[in-house]
Amino acid sequence: MHTEPTGRQAAFFRAEGVLVSRPAHLAAAWLAANAQHLGQRAARLGAVALAAPLSLGLGDSSVGHRVAWSALRGMSADRIAVLGEEYAATQLLDRLRPAGVDLLERSRRDGCTIVLISDLIDEIVAPVGAMLRADHVVCNHLEYRNRRATGRLMDPIATRFGGGTLRAFADDHGLDLSASRAYGAFASDQVLLASVRLPCAVSPDRGLRRIALDLDWPVVER
Amino acid sequence: MHTPQILEGRHLVVTGFTGFLAKVLVAMILEEVPGIGRITLLVRPRGRLRPAVRRVEEALERSPVFRRLRQRHGEHLSEWLGARLDPIDADLEQPGCGLDPAALQRLASADVILHCAGLTDFAPDPLKALSANVIAAAQIAELARGQQVPLVHVSTAYVAGCPDRVEIPETLEPGVAPSGEPFDVGAEIRALQLACRHGDARTSAGARIELGMARADALGWPNIYTYTKGLAEHLLAQQEGLDLTVVRPSIVECARRYPFPGWNEGLNTAGPLAWLISTAFRRLPTVPEHRFDVVPVDDVAQGLGAICAAAIEGRAGGVFQLASSDHNPFTFDRAVELTGLGMRRWARASGTPLERAVLAQLDPVPVPADRPGPLAIDRLARWVPRVRRALEPDRRSAWLPPALERLLQPALERATEELASAQQSLDRVSAMLELYRPFIHDHDWVFHTERARALTHDEDTFRFDLSDLCWRRYWVDVEYPGLRTWCIPLIEGRGVPSDPAQTPRLRLGRPEAEARVASK
Repeated sequence: MHTEPTGRQAAFFRAEGVLVSRPAHLAAAWLAANAQHLGQRAARLGAVALAAPLSLGLGDSSVGHRVAWSALRGMSADRIAVLGEEYAATQLLDRLRPAGVDLLERSRRDGCTIVLISDLIDEIVAPVGAMLRADHVVCNHLEYRNRRATGRLMDPIATRFGGGTLRAFADDHGLDLSASRAYGAFASDQVLLASVRLPCAVSPDRGLRRIALDLDWPVVER
Repeated sequence: MHTPQILEGRHLVVTGFTGFLAKVLVAMILEEVPGIGRITLLVRPRGRLRPAVRRVEEALERSPVFRRLRQRHGEHLSEWLGARLDPIDADLEQPGCGLDPAALQRLASADVILHCAGLTDFAPDPLKALSANVIAAAQIAELARGQQVPLVHVSTAYVAGCPDRVEIPETLEPGVAPSGEPFDVGAEIRALQLACRHGDARTSAGARIELGMARADALGWPNIYTYTKGLAEHLLAQQEGLDLTVVRPSIVECARRYPFPGWNEGLNTAGPLAWLISTAFRRLPTVPEHRFDVVPVDDVAQGLGAICAAAIEGRAGGVFQLASSDHNPFTFDRAVELTGLGMRRWARASGTPLERAVLAQLDPVPVPADRPGPLAIDRLARWVPRVRRALEPDRRSAWLPPALERLLQPALERATEELASAQQSLDRVSAMLELYRPFIHDHDWVFHTERARALTHDEDTFRFDLSDLCWRRYWVDVEYPGLRTWCIPLIEGRGVPSDPAQTPRLRLGRPEAEARVASK
């Protein structure tokens, strides 16, 4: 029996890999390298350097993200906000992937609500979301105490966006997943892509390419 | 009634028009209250060629503050302003403010006198500071009393001096110095004048400054500026029959909105500090958690406009403080860090390659004055002369082999010259930090502003409340670029932009202004 969609159709875009080429760890490293005190820069960079092997070793990228962003512990909210805007302006906005931007524009023309999902923190993603005119941005949020970062990411972290968190988000915003589409580039995006009607792998990594072939999902190459 | 309605058709007398604050206030009133009756500007003439009217015309023609009015009124500007502004030659330090009977006649319809003029240098010749800040205030008070109009006297929040307490209320206890000592203000003024005319002080400005600083310190004021402004407050508060309102802004800085974001004029407090930490000196001796009480000039102008209107209606009187520390505090650690971030952003947009590559990467940091680190200015100031002496021709032969000395001679000569220049810079910076120390290190003041905020809380334009000010946005996007454009070039001995002269030249006339006030 055919049922009519109950909400609006949405297009979910995982920013990393689809719209921007730089991984989130690189942003954490860039911010760490621009700490106020020269002496703190090396120590902070060391913490970020641990993140990638930890992700690979544990097979859980969320651990890597938590470790990478913990390098910002003690940094002021002012610094993270100002440098976050600078990172977006100098490292992301003029290097957006054209194929991803085309898909986003096409989805907008099709009447989709645009949802941007990113492992970056909101201080960096907000300008990207504004430039791409995203309707919603789902990203990581640093915890602050007395205007200083504690080094912790607030739950839920965006890396795990999919399944239950995705359904809750769709309910909250009146989106119909059975009429929606999603674009991802990494194997970790599988849960997100599997939750919508029209999944699409964009320049996928080896893991997602295999899954896309198995499940007969379309693959877009740059 | 709101301020614009109260000021409609009124006659304001304003001093200090050539300064930063009064210009913004006059422009704001002209724009927001086009039906103002008249604003009389008491301005000191500069010789025969530059009478008050010419000085005012020059400001109206060239100052960016009046850009919006120039654009709005175009070729009718002279006529429009002529109907509202009335510049008069005056010398506030002379009896009767140096006004002739005809000029006095032009003040007969005044509704309020706003005294903004003053000397804001921290350590000027005390005789000049006494004249500009105390004698002039007394003469203006005499004028206000003679005309039977309220006087709004602009002072500074730092007349609070260096008391033991942190919280500074909007009050004044006449005859009690910040040190808590009772004193006779008249006797204090006479004693300072006398002391400045005897001994070394008679001939040496340096000796007079030393004397003035010592006297200020004895009574609990941090410098000659706050000392003389404080004396003026005490003197005016004791005047019988004077309808007095004292307004105390804290550190007046770049406009956040009016006339445009970033507008600043002259050397204000934050400019030299921003310049200092934008150079190679990155360690500012300050206490991170102490409050840096800054207020944008347009917020001060808004508050001042409302207080003038209230004074006309008899709702003012007493002391009003226009400050930020009690309701939206900004601390030195944030100020230092945001200055570094502002410089970084500015360098990315318009800095030199050196600034982009090196200076923008070296962030300034606050350091305690008692633990300033190896690169502290006073430590460098001690080492530079030693190194310079060691490089002098008669001394270097003691440690440098003759062959090497001959080989390195041109470089050594150059290094000696550069060290001499570095020594001058270090001395200048050390002296500057010494003057700033009470404000950036020694004291943490919280200036209360409840009266000012309550008075203006239902105003639209003329409202004083900084609760909505985002210090990060203001400092990085407004204050720092403003200082780079309007203030730091002056410190570096360069000019600042001004607007092109008007063609035809702006000329102020008066007949319409007379008519507007007469019909009030």
